[in-house]
Formats: sequence, C-alpha cells, structure tokens
Amino acid sequence: MHLLEIENLTKSFGGLTAIKNVSLHIDEGEIVGIIGPNGAGKTTFFHLISGFLKPDSGTIKFRGEDITGLEPFKIVNKGIARTFQVVRPFRHLPTIANVMVALNSPRGSKKIEWLKTPERKALEMLEDVGLSEMMLEPAENLAHGDLKRLEIARALATEPDLLLLDEPFGGLSPIETEYLTKSIQRMHMDGHTLVIVEHKLHALMKLAKRVIVLHYGEKIAEGTPEEMAKNEKVIEVYMGKAK
Amino acid sequence: MILLALISIWLISLNPIDREYALAKINSVIVNGAVSGPLYALLALGFTLIYGVTGVVNMTHGTLYMLGAYMFFAFGPLGFFQLEILPAIVLAAIFVGIVGSIIYALTIHPIIEDELAVLVVTVGVALILQQLIIIGFDIAFKATYLAIPTITLAGLPLNVTFMGVKLASSSLLVCGVSVVLFTVVMIFISKAKIGRAMRAVAQDREAAMLMGINTTRLYMLTMAISASLAATAGIFIATSTTGTAEPSMWLRPLVISFAIVILGGLGSLKGTIVGAFIVGYAENAVIILTPAGSTLAGAVALAIMVLVLLIRPRGIFGKRIEME
Amino acid sequence: MATTYPRRIYTSFITNIVDIPSRLVALLCFLLLLLFPVTRPGTLLLYVLTYTNIIAIFAASWDLLVGRVGQISLGHALFFGIGAYTTALLYKFYALPLWATIPLAILSGASVAVLVGFPSLRVKGPYLALVSMAFPLILTGLIFYFREWTGGENGIWGLPRFFPIGFFTQMGFPYSEALYLQKIAEYYLTLLLLLASGILLYKIANSKIGITFISILDDEQASKSCGINTTKYKLMAFAITACFASLAGAVYAHIITSIGPASTLSVTLSFLPVIMTMFGGIGTIYGPIAATFIIQTLDLYILRKVVDVPLEWHPLIFIIIVVIIIIKWPRGIAKFVTDKFEDLQEARELEERGKHIWKREKKKSSISKG
Repeated sequence: MHLLEIENLTKSFGGLTAIKNVSLHIDEGEIVGIIGPNGAGKTTFFHLISGFLKPDSGTIKFRGEDITGLEPFKIVNKGIARTFQVVRPFRHLPTIANVMVALNSPRGSKKIEWLKTPERKALEMLEDVGLSEMMLEPAENLAHGDLKRLEIARALATEPDLLLLDEPFGGLSPIETEYLTKSIQRMHMDGHTLVIVEHKLHALMKLAKRVIVLHYGEKIAEGTPEEMAKNEKVIEVYMGKAK
Repeated sequence: MILLALISIWLISLNPIDREYALAKINSVIVNGAVSGPLYALLALGFTLIYGVTGVVNMTHGTLYMLGAYMFFAFGPLGFFQLEILPAIVLAAIFVGIVGSIIYALTIHPIIEDELAVLVVTVGVALILQQLIIIGFDIAFKATYLAIPTITLAGLPLNVTFMGVKLASSSLLVCGVSVVLFTVVMIFISKAKIGRAMRAVAQDREAAMLMGINTTRLYMLTMAISASLAATAGIFIATSTTGTAEPSMWLRPLVISFAIVILGGLGSLKGTIVGAFIVGYAENAVIILTPAGSTLAGAVALAIMVLVLLIRPRGIFGKRIEME
Repeated sequence: MATTYPRRIYTSFITNIVDIPSRLVALLCFLLLLLFPVTRPGTLLLYVLTYTNIIAIFAASWDLLVGRVGQISLGHALFFGIGAYTTALLYKFYALPLWATIPLAILSGASVAVLVGFPSLRVKGPYLALVSMAFPLILTGLIFYFREWTGGENGIWGLPRFFPIGFFTQMGFPYSEALYLQKIAEYYLTLLLLLASGILLYKIANSKIGITFISILDDEQASKSCGINTTKYKLMAFAITACFASLAGAVYAHIITSIGPASTLSVTLSFLPVIMTMFGGIGTIYGPIAATFIIQTLDLYILRKVVDVPLEWHPLIFIIIVVIIIIKWPRGIAKFVTDKFEDLQEARELEERGKHIWKREKKKSSISKG
C-alpha cells in the first residue's frame, strides 16, 4: 500500500484551474521532489494535502485512509506535517516556544518521552537543527535561514511520518543549503518520508530519487532527476517554447 | 409561497369575526411594514455607504441618529432657534453632517488602516458623543427627554386610512420623503461625478487612487452624507414612532442598521433596501401579532442579526466574503 | 555549547530584572494594598478600592481572551451580568447560600461562554465585534422581557453580604464599628480574590496552554499546521475568561447587594477593559490590573479632589483619553502587544526553566567529559 495516494485531484478558483486531475503516489521511505515553474500549482497541491483547501474532486488517501477535506489539525495528527514557502513562525513567541506549540498537539505530545519536560524536548529539537543558541530569542528576531530551520523543527515536533517541505531552500546561502541537504538526509535516515517542492531542479538532484513535474496544475512528467533534466517537455516548460 | 398558503388556509378556517380581526392585524402588518421599510432603508443607507466606500464599520451611526433628533428639537419650534419645521430638519441634518465629517477626520481617518482600532475607537466616540449630548442638553434645556414636534404639512388630515389601517399622516409623509431622499442619493451615486467616484472607490480603492481620486476628501464627503442621512432618519423615525428624543436612543438604530446591512450584505445597496423591508416587516409582525409584542420588538433586529451571522454571514447580496 | 548557556541565561535574566523590576514593584504594591487598611481609611475609599479589585479581575480576564488569544470581545459585560444575575436569581428563588450560588454563577458563566463561543468563532473581524456586542444586549432584552422574575430595569436588591453584620456584633463590637469592619472584611476578600485570580490567569497565560493561545493569536493557520485544534483552544479561552468575569460579577452582586442591567450589562462596562488594557498594556495580565488601580486613583484624586468634576463625566473623560491614545498610536493596540512581549514575563519563566536545563546539561557534559 502506498503511504500517500492521490487520485484525480482537481481544484479550481473561479475560472482558474489550479490543479487538474493530478494522480500520484508516495511510498514509505521515499524522497520525492515536485518541481514546476511558478504558478504550476505546487503550493496549492500542498494546501490540498494538508487540509487548508478542499478539493473540488478527487481523493487523498493516507495509509489507505481517506483524508480528503479533513481539517488541517486532524491531518497533522494523523502524521502529515508541512512547512510553508513563506515562513510562518509565531513571531511573538521565543524560538523554543514555537516548537513547544507543536509539542502541545495530541500527536506531538506523544513525542515527549516519559520524565522529560516539553521544554527539554523542544531544546533537543532545536539542537537537531542547530538553533539551540537562539532558544529564548523571540522568533521575529531570527534571520531568514534560521526561520527556515525553525519551520522544519516545528514540523518535526509533530512526529510526522510524511513531511511536506515547501521550497525549503528558498533564500538560503550555499552553506545553509549544504546544511539543509544534510538535515534532510538525516531525516530520511530517521525514517521520515519526504515530499519536497522546489523551484530549482538542481537542489533536488542529490536528494530525490523521483521527481514529479507539474505545469499549470497538471502532471507532465515523472522520473529520476537526471531523466527530468534531459526531458524535452520539462525543458520546454522551464525555458518556454523554442525561441 | 408555502407561508401564504398556510396563512390562507388558517384564515379560511376561522369564523368570520375572528377572521376579520386576524385580517385587520395582517393588514396592519402589511401597511406598517411598508411604511417602516423606507424609513429603515434611509437609516441603513448611511451605514452601508460609509462601509462600502471607506470600509469603516461606523459604530457612531446610532449616536449621529440621536444627535439628529436632538438638534431637530434645538433648531425647531420648541428649541433655541425656534425655526419652522422644514428649516429645522435641514439645519439639523447639515449640522450633523458637519459633525460627522469632523469626527471622521479627527478619529477615524488617522487609523483607517487598522480595522480593529477603528471599531474600538468608533465605539468609544459613540459613547463620548452620547454623553456629550446628554450633558449638553441637560445644561441647555434642563432636560434630556425631549418631545419632538410632529411633522405635518399644512392642510393634511391628521390620520389617513389605508387598507383599513389607520396611519398618522406624518408617518406617511416622512415615509414618502424617505423614499424621495433615498432615490436622490441613488441617482447621485449613479450619475454625479462624485457619486461615481464613490462607486469606484467602493469597488477598488487602489485603482481609484491611481486614477487620481482624492480619497481623503471623498471619504469626508461620504461621511458627511452618511451622517446627514442618519440624522434625518433619526428625526423621521423619532417623530413617527415615539415622538421623543431620549438618551438611550442611540443603541437601537445601531442594532437595526447592523441587522439590515448584515442581512442585505455589507456594501450592497440593493441588499440595504431588501434588508430594511425585511427587518421592518419582521418587527411590525412581532409587535402586532405576538401577545407581548412591543417588548420583544427591540430584540427582533438583534435576533435577525445573530441568525444571519450564524447561517450566512455574507448576507443576501453580500459582496465580500470574509476569509482568513 | 554548554559553556555559553550560563552566560546567556545570566545576562538575559539580569537585563530582564534590571530593566523591568515589575515583579518587585508588583510585590510592593500588593503589600501596600494589604497593609493600608491599618490607617483606618474612610468608607468611601474602602468602597472604591473594593470595587476596583472587582473590576481588576474583570479586566484581567478580558486581557487573556483578547490579548493572548486574539478574540476581540466588546461585550464582555455579558459574563459579568451572568455571574451577577445567576447568584442573585438563585438567592431570590431558592435562597441558596453564598458559597453555593457563587460557584454556580461561575459555572453558568463558563457554560454560556461555550454557547456564545460557537457562533463567535465562525465570524471574523467587524462581524465578531458586532456579535460580541450583541450578546449582552440579548441578555438585557431577556431580562426586560421576563421582568416578573428578573425585576426588569429595577433589578434585584437585598442580596446577602459576605459577612453579615451579626458576625461582627456577636464578637462584641458596637454596631458602627461592626459596619466598618464589614467593609474592611469585604475589601480583603476582594483583594485576595484579585490576587488569586491574577496569579491564576497569569499562570495560565504562561503555561503550555498560554503558549498555544499566543500561537493562535500570531498565526492561526500555522498553529493548525502544528496539529493544534484551534477551535477547542478558543472555546477553552472563552470558558476560562468567563469564569473569572462571572466571579467578578457574582462578587459584585454581594458587595453592592443590588444589581440591575444598567450596572452589570452596559456597553460602558464592556468598554472598561479596553481602557484598562490601553493604559496597562494588552496581553500582560498584570498590566490591566495595575491600570485599573491607577485609573481609579486618578479618578478619585484628580477628578474629585483636584478638579471637581461631576460624577457622570468621569467615564466620559477616560473614554476620551483612551480614544486619543488609540488614535495617537494606531498600531497602539498591536504595538503594545509587541512591546509588552519584548519584556515577556514568559521569557523569564522559560529562563527559569532554562537554568534547570542548563544545570542538567552541565551535569551531563561533565559526566561525559569525566
């Protein structure tokens, strides 16, 4: 059974069809990339899976269970976590508290081992992403790269089986990109399944075994990153028709 | 449709005497509701206008209504200036219009981007204004409950009977004037240059600004008009219902305006008309048909508002859908 | 990394204490309030301060809801009124004693809060403000409609006091002295209730639940994506805040011994917490409490002694001041939240725990080194 199974997913806004009849599946333990030019519907896709939007038609099944249209917090508590393309930290809370919120959720609180306090656990999670120094800093004072890491720490705090990362590499310096790549690999080794939306293909080269390409809401290609880099349709989509 | 059928069946089932009585009541509801409609529409019009054009939910609307009634007294035969009724009405409306603009300029415009602050501030200003009115009139006239002169035209009979229902001709008169005023405003909005500017801003503020419309001046003008309308409604409704101006008269028109505007849809003029009639009819129905009607009347608008917010927050013709 | 912890926590701790000795000040103020009756103040002053204690509880409860969760409420008087009327009606019809009616009043406040919360959660922005204002009006309407039972505009009088006069006369005090002692006793009661409520509210605001509240205030969507059932938490906030507001109302009923819709459900009453939080800082819990006292002091001395202003004008003046404040600092409400969070007491709490964490870390690292 696939971990995540999506069939004929469609979503329109007024006259615009953002996602058109998309079907795909994710298996446990994979790292799958989703790429496509701006406006291809990648973030909308994540919104649909994570419950922020309800699809017009189609189904989303997680571990065989139909989760289509469930409320976001319920989906998180089933084991799917996501990060946002534009970071959304809790600005007024210290960094450590940001993670603690996630640990407060029903699923997250299971993550806190016996005899540990939530603060302790949150600190550990911050250490994992290298943010422990900032633990008392209000989140709004953090630099962009740090905020990206906070997003991930927060998502991990809900003990997800499936992680949806929305453009995690956005705005990162080469060093930060390197660090993030290693973090993602570590998460993968820890047993998380990851779906990463990215704008640039090369960032996924090292990470994803399989890449799905979206364009105007439709799936136009699927394969290994190398294959996609050479795929004519994909090149056309990124470069525009023969100029 | 079903409602009419049910009512007809019930009517037929009654004996002739009861039926007469019931019919009389129903007639009363129909006629009184029809008279209330335009009055309430006039009241809600100002509220809708200011929201549509500036996006401000103006909690001072009820207090401006109250100021209108009080100033009408002050300008009128029993007040300071002892003018005739018509000039008194006009002057009161203009006065309140100016006051409204000043309130807007001082208290709303500086914070207009912050919806929450505007809400809180307008509530505060409403309370302040109400207190000032009471204090002022207490000093000036040593009384805060004032009798409002009735508005009649010379030569008009005191009462008029229509469909078997007795109406004070003054009520009919103000109702008629309300219809006229409402129509005038509608025409103004659709034809006059300024009116069209208002519609432009209501539709797309930024685009309007880019086209060179001076939003600040426009907003102040809209506020002046809205306040004048509120004042006029205050005068008309006060004369045709209670005949007095009282300190607590600011809350009910506010609630009624909300109810109408929420029912009809914030920002929709069509909705305002429809909403006004629905609320007017509902209130009259409750007053006339229910045993303890008059005490419940105040609650009708409130109930409508709460129900609409629960079931269909955007109202009947609502344009803006509140999203995250 | 372990070596930088102590320094960071230490400096952060120091800067927080040195810059804002509010805890120290709060302690001093409380001691002042506790001891001042020794000076045998006049009954007017006692009465005013007793009333202030009650309003402070009310304002603090509002702060939790609006300042920490972000649910705007312009009809908070609803819960005050429910508290007052529940205890009054239970006394009137069932002659239940105080210690029974007041908890029941709190309970009914919480229940109404959940009921009222459901529709409130479905609407946003101006609609939410309107809905919150509608509820006290609805209750007022109901009270008028059922006036045979509720007394209508006239309200209910003759409610029992907390300390019946006999309590003191039996101890041998002469009547006039007993009367005075009764006022003192009521003052201490309300003061203690304020202390308890204030501490409780503060603790809640800085607990795990409180942190979740702030997350909802900051970014509800993000909170949901952390697995938080925001609806549940918002309802919880309503219920908690209503408990304290109803408590305030119920206590008010038995101190003043008569209640009416005008004193317990008015728009002005609903607006009071706005005034308090604007003066004291929204979201801080202790801010509105302090502000209530400051404003009462201002009211008492400046508006009565220094410049003799007629009583009806008092609330007016404060509302004017608050309106001016809000206008001058438009981001005032939001800004205050930000500013006050800069000196988040919460951060200090976490630092306290941080110290413990550091100690454990130190032990661990010294073990692993050794």
